[in-house]
This record gives sequence, C-alpha cells and structure tokens, in this order.
Amino acid sequence: MPCRVLRAMIRFENVTKVYDQKARPALDSINLEIDRGEFAFLVGASGSGKSTFLRLVLKEDRATSGAVYVAGQNVARISSWRVPRLRRGIGVVFQDFRLLPQKNVFANVAFAMQVIGKSRSVIRDTVPEVLKTVGLEGKEHRMPHELSGGEQQRVAIARAVVNRPGILLADEPTGNLDPTTSMGIMGVLDKINQNGTTVVMATHDDDIVNEMRKRVVELKNGVVIRDEARALYTSMIPVVGQSRRLKDASGRETPDGGLPGTGAEGEVQR
Amino acid sequence: MRLAFILSEIGSGLRRNLSMVVSVILVTFVSLTFVGAAGMLQMQINQMKGYWYDKVQVAIFLCSDGSTAPSCASGPVTPEQQQGLNALLESPSVAQYINDFQFESRDEAYKHFKDQFSNSPIVDSVTPDQLPASFRINMKDPQKYQIISETFSSQPGVETVIDQRQLLERLFSVMNGASLVAVGIAGVMIVCAILLIATTIRLSAFSRRRETGIMRLVGASKTVIQLPFILEGVIAAVIGAALASGTLWAVAQFFLGDYMSRQYPDTAFISSGQTLILAPALLILGGSLAGISSLLTLRRYLRV
Repeated sequence: MPCRVLRAMIRFENVTKVYDQKARPALDSINLEIDRGEFAFLVGASGSGKSTFLRLVLKEDRATSGAVYVAGQNVARISSWRVPRLRRGIGVVFQDFRLLPQKNVFANVAFAMQVIGKSRSVIRDTVPEVLKTVGLEGKEHRMPHELSGGEQQRVAIARAVVNRPGILLADEPTGNLDPTTSMGIMGVLDKINQNGTTVVMATHDDDIVNEMRKRVVELKNGVVIRDEARALYTSMIPVVGQSRRLKDASGRETPDGGLPGTGAEGEVQR
Repeated sequence: MRLAFILSEIGSGLRRNLSMVVSVILVTFVSLTFVGAAGMLQMQINQMKGYWYDKVQVAIFLCSDGSTAPSCASGPVTPEQQQGLNALLESPSVAQYINDFQFESRDEAYKHFKDQFSNSPIVDSVTPDQLPASFRINMKDPQKYQIISETFSSQPGVETVIDQRQLLERLFSVMNGASLVAVGIAGVMIVCAILLIATTIRLSAFSRRRETGIMRLVGASKTVIQLPFILEGVIAAVIGAALASGTLWAVAQFFLGDYMSRQYPDTAFISSGQTLILAPALLILGGSLAGISSLLTLRRYLRV
C-alpha cells in the first residue's frame, strides 16, 4: 500500500466534493491515480468536475469525504502553515495566463522565486534557463502586453515550473489560443513532462488531445466515465464512453430542457 | 532577499494607495493627539498637586521675615512658639481630628518648591528665606478643617492656615472633565481610525489580488503575503502617532512653556520634555491598533 501511494504522484481515494448540499456532488467517489512522470488529460464538459479536481490537488478546497494524496502525502493532514510547501511542489497554468502587467517577462518569472525567498544570484541563473526551455530567449525585457497570447502563456508556464515542481497542473492552457499556437504550447508542456514533471491538463481541445495521444481521463457529472492510455478526445469504445455528439444529445435531454450549449450544469452552479 | 522583497512590496503598496494612506495618517494623528491631550492634562494635574497634595489637606504657615500678616507683627516665628504649636497639635483636643502632621522647614519648602516649579522662570528668583516654614496636617475628616483653622489662626507665630485641597480641587475637577472629553473624542476618532485602516487594507489587498493570488499559488508563506499589507497600515499609523507626539511637544514647549507660564507665573506647568514620555505610548498604541485591525481585515479579505 505505501509503495502504491508513493509511486502515484496524485492519488484520489473515494473522493467526493459537495459544494452545495442540495445540488449533486461536484466529484462523486472518484478513484484515480496519476503516476510520477505521467502526462494526463482531464476532459469533460464544463461542470464535469475538472476544476474541482485541480483545486483539491492544490488544497484550495477540502474534500467532503475520501482522501487526496499528493506525492504520498494526504493533503487533509497538511497543516495550514505547511500548505505553501505543498504548493511549491505544484506549478499551475491557467487559461487567462495571469501575468503581472507591470512587470516584464524576466520579473514575472522571477516573482515566483522572490516570494519564496530565493537569492538574487539563483534567480539570475535560473530564470534565463527556464525562459530558454519555453522558447522565450531574448524576450526577457518585453512587457506582457507586447507579447502574443502564445508567448504570454509560455511566460506563465515558465513561472509555473521555475521552482522545479514535481507536478504541473494546467487548467485549459490553450483555451484562448489558436490551434497552431496551441500546438506550440503543447510542445513546451511535453518537453517539461519529458524532464520528469507530472503534467495534468484539463482541456476541451479535442485536436490537441487527439494529436498528443496521452492518457485521457474523462469526467462527467463528477464521475470518471473513461480512463484510457494513449487515447483520443472521444472514446473509441462507444459502449463504455460517450462520444461528443452523444453528450450534446444528452444535454438536450435534461429535464429542464436546457438550450443547446447550456446543458452543462456547472454553469448554473457557479 | 525576502526582506528586500517585502520592503519593495510595502513601498509599492504605499504609493498605489497614497490618498488612503494620507487619510490614515491624519486620522491616527488627530485621534492620538486627543489621547495624548488627556494624558497631558493628567500630568498637569499631578504637577500642580506638588509634593504635599496627596499627603495632607491643611497647611499652617508660620511667620517668616517677609510676613506681612497682622499676626506676625512680632517678627518671625520663634523656636518657643514652634514648640508650642507642636505641643498643641499633639494635645488630645486637636489630635483627635488629625491622622498625623509633619513639619516642613524652610529648606525643605525650598526644595519642594524647586521641584514643582522646575519649568517656571520664577524658580530662579526665589530663595529659601522667602518661603515660610509650615506644619502640614493630614486630617481624619477633611470637612473638619474649620476646627483646625479656628484653633491655630490666632496662635502666636502663625501667619495663616490654608485648606490647600479646597483651592485646587475645583480646578482639578474642571481639568478631569476636560480629560474625559478628550478621551471621549479620542475614542470616537480611534474607532474611525480602525475602520479607515481596515478599509485601506481591504482596498490595498483588492488592488493587489493578482499578485497575492500568484504568490499563493507558487507557495509563498503567509507571512510574505500578509506582512506588506500589515506593515503598510502600521507605518501609516506610526507616522500619525509621531505627528501627534510632535504636536503635544510643541503645545508644551510653545503654549505652556513660553506663553502660559509667563501669564501665570505662580502655576507649575509640565515641561515639553515630560510630554515625550507620552510619545512611545502613542507610537505603540497607534502601531498596534493598525496591526490588529489590518490582521483582522486580511483574515477576511485575503485568502492564504
């Protein structure tokens, strides 16, 4: 048992998360393991529980029941003053980049090191190296508004990995980017994964998932309905999983007869 | 590194929020000035009480060289007269009204005078022989002053009998009232200051929520995230407290020291140096009020 826990970088044991007692749980008895060094896509409609999954890993929220292990540690047992240490081991990237507009590229990345007390010389050495990894050499002194969306996301990725976290969580990192730029970002994430970082990416982007051929975990209404290695965005086994078309159809079938595109209950929940 | 980082965060916070910071400084300045004014009034009361006030109620002043009272026509008090007065104080008819009494010689009177009027220009022009010797009496019941007065005013060698407390008590009650008013105003102003600091910190936390969000995600400790905000409030409040201390000093130095002590040379005023005792108290009060209110605000508005 301890061995299994240690091999798994992220492990969910019967995790249920209820935000609102009256609504259905955001996550419903999830059992999931993501191993060290793995690259996993988390797919599913809005409100399927992807973001909740990421929040539980970061201990932004507490699981209502069940246990979440990150790097072998039960996050529920981590005292509040040690949560920062947990988060230092996890990098996060968002759809909206979240760069500091008044700081240049170098300062944005350096910020992540400054606030945890890294020395100036270490920062001077590490930041250019990381910027090189994400393909932003020579753009250290640009301001965020001078960069394209793809470049801004590269800065955000550089900031997320500059402290060498074991896990990188990406919440729809290509959501604001065109397909070509998105593929460039995926290349960066793949490179980071090759260097040994576990990557979990929540996404809606079927092209990317189909292109990458990595593990795919599909959530629906807080339940894992598919978990396949080297899979596609839509399942190749129609009986177990559900195709995108079927999901749309089921959305229309909901009792309140929601309009197409509002089928996701999560929108209501927020 | 981390210290430099926190300092630069404080600097940018203060600059971004300048108008709010200035208002925090002014409100703490005004409120702490009132707190200090109440303190100064109490210090002034103590100063005026002098050496004897809390120990005795009645003073029997004996004739001295400069006495002009009719009862002193025969010149300064003689040792025999003094002996007689002492005996009379110890006799059962008088002793039943008093707790105890003390004799204050001219030299002692001079010493106490110098202490009380140390801030006044008249201290240099007074010599021991201008001050009368006296018996200082602690009454069992201060209301029985009349009995002592009647017994001793007609005795040879006695210049006058004075109930010192009665003279000062009315003045002191006015000053105590003024202190209460000052404390009341200070209380209201302190509430204002606390609310204003809370609002300022809230605004500051809101305007920097992007930074703090990122700090949280990359695993900055609670201290690194919160300290700049708390210190921002504390620095503003401490500046206000310093201004308040400076104002009190200026009042003591220029109003009491230069103007009032010339107008009322026979009154002992506190010195400007004495008001500096209040300064550390005001600084600590201002700083801790700001620190606590910022901390409570951050607990609600800044997730860590």
